[in-house]
Amino acid sequence: MSNVLEAKNISVAFGGLLAVNSVDFDIPKRKIVSLIGPNGAGKTTLFNVLTGLYKPSVGTISYEGKDITDLPPHKIASIGIARTFQNIRLFGLMTAQENLLVAMHSKLKSGITSTILRTPKQRREESEAEDKAQYLLDYVGVGKWTYEFARNLSYGDQRRLEVARALALDPKVLLLDEPTAGMNPQETGVFIDFVRRLVSEKDISVMLIEHDMKVVMSVSERITVLDQGEKIAEGTSDQIKSNARVIEAYLGRAKEGRA
Amino acid sequence: MSTALVKPQNVTRSNRKWIIGYSIAGAFLYFVYQFLLNWEGLPLGIYDAINRWMPPAAVNESLVYVIMALGLNIVVGYAGLLDLGYVAFWAIGGYCAGWFMSEFFYFLKIHFFGAVPAEAPGIHINFWLVLIIGGFVCAFFGALIGAPTLRLKSDYLALVTLGFGEIIPQIFFNGENFFGFNISNGTKGIVQVDPIPVGFKDLGPFDFGWKLLIFLFLAAVMVFISLRLRRGRLGRAWLAIREDELAASMMGVPLMRTKLLSYAVGAFAGGLGGVAFATHVNGVYAERFNFAISIFLLAMVVLGGMGNVWGVILGAFVLSWVNGNGLSAFGALYNERFGTEIDFASFTFLLFGLVLILMMLFRREGLLPESRLKLVLHEGDIDEREASGKKAR
Amino acid sequence: MQKFKGTPGQIRRQRIERTGAIVISLVLAAWILVNLLKSPQQVAQVAVLGLRNGLLYALIALGYTLVYGIIELINFAHGDLFMLSAIFSSYFITVWFKQDESNPAGWLTFISALFAVMAFGAVINVLIERLAYRRLRNAPRLAPLITAVGMSFLLNFIGLKWNGSTPRQWPSVIPNNDIYIGEVRINMTTILLLLVGVPLLLALNFIVTNTKSGKAMRATAQDKQAAALMGINVNKTIAFTFAIGGAMAGAAGLLYQQSIGTTNYNLGFQLGLIAFTSAVLGGIGNLWGAVVGALLIGLVQGLNDGLPIAFGQQWSQTVVFAILITILVFKPAGLLGKVTTEKV
Repeated sequence: MSNVLEAKNISVAFGGLLAVNSVDFDIPKRKIVSLIGPNGAGKTTLFNVLTGLYKPSVGTISYEGKDITDLPPHKIASIGIARTFQNIRLFGLMTAQENLLVAMHSKLKSGITSTILRTPKQRREESEAEDKAQYLLDYVGVGKWTYEFARNLSYGDQRRLEVARALALDPKVLLLDEPTAGMNPQETGVFIDFVRRLVSEKDISVMLIEHDMKVVMSVSERITVLDQGEKIAEGTSDQIKSNARVIEAYLGRAKEGRA
Repeated sequence: MSTALVKPQNVTRSNRKWIIGYSIAGAFLYFVYQFLLNWEGLPLGIYDAINRWMPPAAVNESLVYVIMALGLNIVVGYAGLLDLGYVAFWAIGGYCAGWFMSEFFYFLKIHFFGAVPAEAPGIHINFWLVLIIGGFVCAFFGALIGAPTLRLKSDYLALVTLGFGEIIPQIFFNGENFFGFNISNGTKGIVQVDPIPVGFKDLGPFDFGWKLLIFLFLAAVMVFISLRLRRGRLGRAWLAIREDELAASMMGVPLMRTKLLSYAVGAFAGGLGGVAFATHVNGVYAERFNFAISIFLLAMVVLGGMGNVWGVILGAFVLSWVNGNGLSAFGALYNERFGTEIDFASFTFLLFGLVLILMMLFRREGLLPESRLKLVLHEGDIDEREASGKKAR
Repeated sequence: MQKFKGTPGQIRRQRIERTGAIVISLVLAAWILVNLLKSPQQVAQVAVLGLRNGLLYALIALGYTLVYGIIELINFAHGDLFMLSAIFSSYFITVWFKQDESNPAGWLTFISALFAVMAFGAVINVLIERLAYRRLRNAPRLAPLITAVGMSFLLNFIGLKWNGSTPRQWPSVIPNNDIYIGEVRINMTTILLLLVGVPLLLALNFIVTNTKSGKAMRATAQDKQAAALMGINVNKTIAFTFAIGGAMAGAAGLLYQQSIGTTNYNLGFQLGLIAFTSAVLGGIGNLWGAVVGALLIGLVQGLNDGLPIAFGQQWSQTVVFAILITILVFKPAGLLGKVTTEKV
């Protein structure tokens, strides 16, 4: 089984409108894949289906061989599919550390009674969780903001924190929704290196939705192109670059970076 | 700005300060009401002043409100669910006391460490056990009432809880003939509940001093539960839901279960308060349970700062005192002095309405805010600053 | 692209809803049938009364649904505005103009009262929005909600001071004769309600669908930002919405006071709840839904209060609340509302 996540024949309807139309999408193990397409192509919808936020009208999703189509979002998160948000959705009033601890909710076991009584087991569990959180915060580069309210962090740090939070789920698949939005070229470069490091150091696959073609072309091992809800191309960056349908779909739109 | 690597021991430290303050205040109150008031050497002026401004019954009643406000604080303050029907739990708790600690079920005879002679008809279970029973019964109903609201937006959620806050007291109000059964004696109420056994004594309705201690203890229990839960994963889950429920669920927080737990734990306090109150007024009277009380409790939580247990204690104590005794005592004084005949007690609605409105308009974080709350509740106001600044949303 | 019917889950849900609706309708029909067999005349009588009340509720419900439609806020204080309008009417007609009999002077006063109370309702509602809700428009949901609750209490207080703590009876300037359709007695007040209420509803419908302000309202309700970008003054539009909602409540207050003849500071809570349930039943944000919902609720409530085989008046509020809860849980879009899937 070389795919960690497989989505087959996915269609998503809003009312009578098909936002996604019979799309197959796989995420192979330990690879970086991208999903691109003009605005309104259905990328975010597909993304939301993969993370369990929307249920597909038609189709199935399986994770590591098991069918997860009907699982609720929190269950999907807890089995190892993590995501970030296009408009950062951190818990602003909670510290960076607490943001990560929330993501570890499904991994922690203490119930109400042990929390109220602060049993040795619960205390140990909390302490280990805090250590893990600190490790992840250091890993993404915001280690010094552990006890700062997430809201107070700079934009770049917030993005990093969001990734750390997603990593706190111990995911096998990390889905990033326009992660370089708002970043300058230098920050983007740092981010690209980070993603590569992530995939090689952890047993994880990364999927990106991106508009920044430089990022897409340089980091992706496979690119999938959606247009008007349908998959119109899939392949390496060279194949996509020269694909006539892809160029046509993007005709008239900015090809690099954001407007 | 940077609290950076400083561990939040300042939170623990400030909690410790409050715990000490609470204990001192509690001890002081106990001293006054158990000993000072009963001392013959007490100058008449002071005796009168105390009885006029803060008679022992008023203090105890305020403490009952404190207990329940702490419960509502968990639902509204921690989880951010606007529960407008909390009075239902007060009622259920009260009737648990009425059922298990009185002669209501005169055709039965069940005794379990009750504080009455063995021949007495009815169910007479030990007060301390009834507290626990009442708490858990309420917790159960909390989850039951919360269940339909799990998918609703905050406006609708408020309405549904409001609905239950009306239906349940109404059931007790009409309870003399509820499908053939008498479950509450209707408007007549259940007229006497058992005394509280504390080993060397049985506390009746006039043992204000001792009851004060017990009520302080119950409030402390709720504080303890609140603080401990907040520190653990459940509390974090609640705060996350309050802030961004969708993001929380995508980070693995099971929304339904977590919300149900907040209702249940919050309602538990209602049970404690309900049972305690029944022993305070020595009975369970249906007209007492009206919708306005739910709003009073909300005002207390809002005034104190949603999520801040110490603020809520202060807010609850002050507002319930003002509502119960303060307004009328102040009114009597004012009328004496100025020869007027203003009915100050009727200004309750004005007071609570204004508290809610003014707090929301001008100081949403409460008088004693959890500092973090200051940020979230002013979200909309910050936009201008952020538009020009560097901090992102 | 073929018409998409729904996922298996959605189809199943639709089927459950349909079965539920059929079951409920059957139960209702059976209940009415049983009572019809027992005393058909009473059923008709009670139904007329219920529908009359329904019309009253509709006027109040419109205020709720209009405001919710445009700023997604349940204006808890709306019911209390109705209550204050009833008190205002009583003072206007009986105290200030000293009319207490059914004669031309009385009727003239009634008509002026109608304009006066509608202005009263509009002004108060706009004031409330301006002073309390406007600042909190972008605040997290909890803040304006809590403010609305507080405002309700405030208005309650005013009602308490103005009207006293016990209900007051007032004479009416409406002629007190009945007409009979078959054996069913229809009081003049019911006719009056129709004469005043129906044109008001039609006028409102006209305003909302055909005037510029009405279109602005609907646009703002759909998308505030887009409306603003199209040059619509959002603040003024929202104020306008509150104004006509308030005017409707005002009219309802007058009609209530003159037909039922009592005022009570508690009126707002009871009727406000019923009106809100009506709005939700019909589909919040939908004007005709509010009317349909109100008529239905009025009918059900009337039947429940008056029929021999029913829960009875002391369970009236519980019944209405139970309906509210059921709808919100099983079909929050209401009867005429559209299910909107929100895109994230």
